Amino acid sequence: MAATASLKSSLLLPCPLSDFSGAALSISSQTRRRSWRPRGARIQVSAAADSKNILVMGGTRFIGIFLSRLLVKEGHKVTLFTRGKAPITQQLPGESDAEYAEFSSKVLHLKGDRQDFDFVKTSLAAKGFDVVYDINGREAVEVAPILDALPNLEQYIYCSSAGVYLKSDLLPHFETDAVDPKSRHKGKLETESLLESRDVNWTSIRPVYIYGPLNYNPVEEWFFHRLKAARPIPVPGAGNQITQLGHVKDLATAFGLVLGNPKASKQVFNISGAKYVTFDGLARACAKAGGFPEPEIVHYNPKDFDFGKKKAFPFRDQHFFASIEKATKELGCTPEYGLVDGLTDSYNLDFGRGTFRKEADFTTDDMILGKKLVSV
Amino acid sequence: MAFSSTAAVAASTAAGALASGRRSAACRASSLSSSFLNASFPRVAAAPAPAQRVAAVTVRAQAVAAGKKSVLIVNTNGGGHAVIGFYFAKELLAAGHAVTVLTVGEEGSDKMKKPPFSRFSELTSAGAKTVWGDPADVGAAVGGATFDVVLDNNGKDLDAVKPVADWAKAAGVGQFLFVSSAGIYTPTDEPPHVEGDAVKESAGHVGVEKYIAGEFGNWASFRPQYMIGSGNNKDCEEWFFDRIVRKRPVPIPGSGMQVTNIAHVRDLASMLALAVESPGAAAGKIFNCVCDRAVTFNGLVKMCAAAAGVDAEIVHYDPAAVGVDAKKAFPFRNMHFYAEPRTAKEALGWTSTTKLPEDLKERFAEYASSGRGQKEMSFDLDDKILSAVGVPVSIAA
Repeated sequence: MAATASLKSSLLLPCPLSDFSGAALSISSQTRRRSWRPRGARIQVSAAADSKNILVMGGTRFIGIFLSRLLVKEGHKVTLFTRGKAPITQQLPGESDAEYAEFSSKVLHLKGDRQDFDFVKTSLAAKGFDVVYDINGREAVEVAPILDALPNLEQYIYCSSAGVYLKSDLLPHFETDAVDPKSRHKGKLETESLLESRDVNWTSIRPVYIYGPLNYNPVEEWFFHRLKAARPIPVPGAGNQITQLGHVKDLATAFGLVLGNPKASKQVFNISGAKYVTFDGLARACAKAGGFPEPEIVHYNPKDFDFGKKKAFPFRDQHFFASIEKATKELGCTPEYGLVDGLTDSYNLDFGRGTFRKEADFTTDDMILGKKLVSV
Repeated sequence: MAFSSTAAVAASTAAGALASGRRSAACRASSLSSSFLNASFPRVAAAPAPAQRVAAVTVRAQAVAAGKKSVLIVNTNGGGHAVIGFYFAKELLAAGHAVTVLTVGEEGSDKMKKPPFSRFSELTSAGAKTVWGDPADVGAAVGGATFDVVLDNNGKDLDAVKPVADWAKAAGVGQFLFVSSAGIYTPTDEPPHVEGDAVKESAGHVGVEKYIAGEFGNWASFRPQYMIGSGNNKDCEEWFFDRIVRKRPVPIPGSGMQVTNIAHVRDLASMLALAVESPGAAAGKIFNCVCDRAVTFNGLVKMCAAAAGVDAEIVHYDPAAVGVDAKKAFPFRNMHFYAEPRTAKEALGWTSTTKLPEDLKERFAEYASSGRGQKEMSFDLDDKILSAVGVPVSIAA
């Protein structure tokens, strides 16, 4: 099959780090595909024996952009369920016209509002998908109509969050750790519970902080704005809080690896970078990625300030990191990108080209720096 | 783990191990001399009954013939790593291997009055041979005995380890293991330290690792951090208990968010034992010899307090501002010091069993029954810190 052949040949070529188009797939994904066997009684009539009819809830913003390309390249029939507010496809920085044409001509769109549960149920039942990737689901109520509509669903793959873990003095978080039913992400937890309780083959992926080109969350962008403006980087506390970033392309690869994978059946996987990073270390890594000089870091006590509704720093002020060893062991999933490499990829394809999602806002910085200048 | 002290139980343990089909990748015939076999009887005041003596010798010969190893542990006579050799010996004995512990120095020295040395009867009654001597002349210390495996749990640099390594190579030792240190990793912005990360080239342990890698076809190095466990030669959790039971605030440098790795020593022993059981998988590898969780300084205080069943007050301070050397004022490195045991898990299928909250309860039980909590102790550095920070010495009831 043409798409499969081109994917295999691209795997044999050296992969420039700026190539977003899926050529950075790990070898293990190829292995998985060879060992995959069709499941269930459904008879495959499509050209490739392992081609699936896949529905992606979302898919036009960040993770889905890379995941949908990966799935189309693997020869699956991919439909994106979105309200259609954003363009269904957009050519990505670094993506050739030919590659973009190939993708955009193949990917399908189902226009609708996933909060309209009746519409979800009827439209999905009419189409009959094999696999659902739920990238933007937040609450369990959103998932029930999908499950109701697709009783023969082979797999429900859910993008959850490591934010569900109960804060702990013992780290990293493992998939078996206690979760926090009161966290900001309790909707994700309730969704996982719903999936567990229904008779469906589910997989839940818990990323930590995601970064990469087209990030709509100002994670690396927050640092790049300050570095570009040659401003000091205000970091709360001692700056030794440990967090963890995972590249969006590695996350897309992981999502691809669980497809049709018996080892992923009814399992939760933490997916993120292989190493963690301190807040101060991240500031330095962003500087390296963008070719900026080593930044001046200013530490402050957040309790000394009232920032109102504004966020003074893009990370939760605590240690927050998870072990990815289960995914490494069970799925053969290892991240391609180290932190500086990944941030460089993000910079070269996004911020470094003059694109970003949120305008720079140094209001809270100036509050911090102003006070610092005043106090002796 | 219950360590048996009778030959009969040792026999059944070995038989059980044989029955469970325990694999030994390198099944070398042992070249143990009969004098060594005789010397590995338990040194008990009353000699075992003749039937038991015969049974013990027979079991040993059977065990050795079935792929069990003869292991020499060259053990330090003090410090935080002394206890590693003690637990490793027990683990090997329980698995039916033949163990000799060569402790550096003299059997009659004052150092031998401290644990774990004061508990060596637990090793000898399980069949281990314990000798004392100079690692510069291992051959003399072990009376010409030969071994399949040697662990150097003593030297911190090539001066100390080279004679052991050279003797082992000349004696045809099949597997050379070294207890190194995770302290050799260079500081990083991206924790944890994983095997393969840059190390301080000038560190003594690094010199040893490079040397044994060049000398032995089958070598492995184990890099530990901190450990807890009964028989430890060095204070760890006791530093916290000393303050908590006396209702003194616990001074913690910096924010207390620094993470470290504190393993129960049984984890270190099980990793070493697994390397002996799977020499092919361990060959040529570096292992972070730690458990798989980091703990913050603040978290450790809370866990020690919970283990003691009381509240604790943490007082944070800046060592430079107060004018104290953090190395003297606090038992752990004042920075993130955090390695993960990734190679052991991947290459050996090793799993960690350390559960700090539970393990600290067991540690506290021993602390409480030792009477140490009632001893007069001075807390000069603590007092200096607390007065600089302006905190009263005792916590209000």
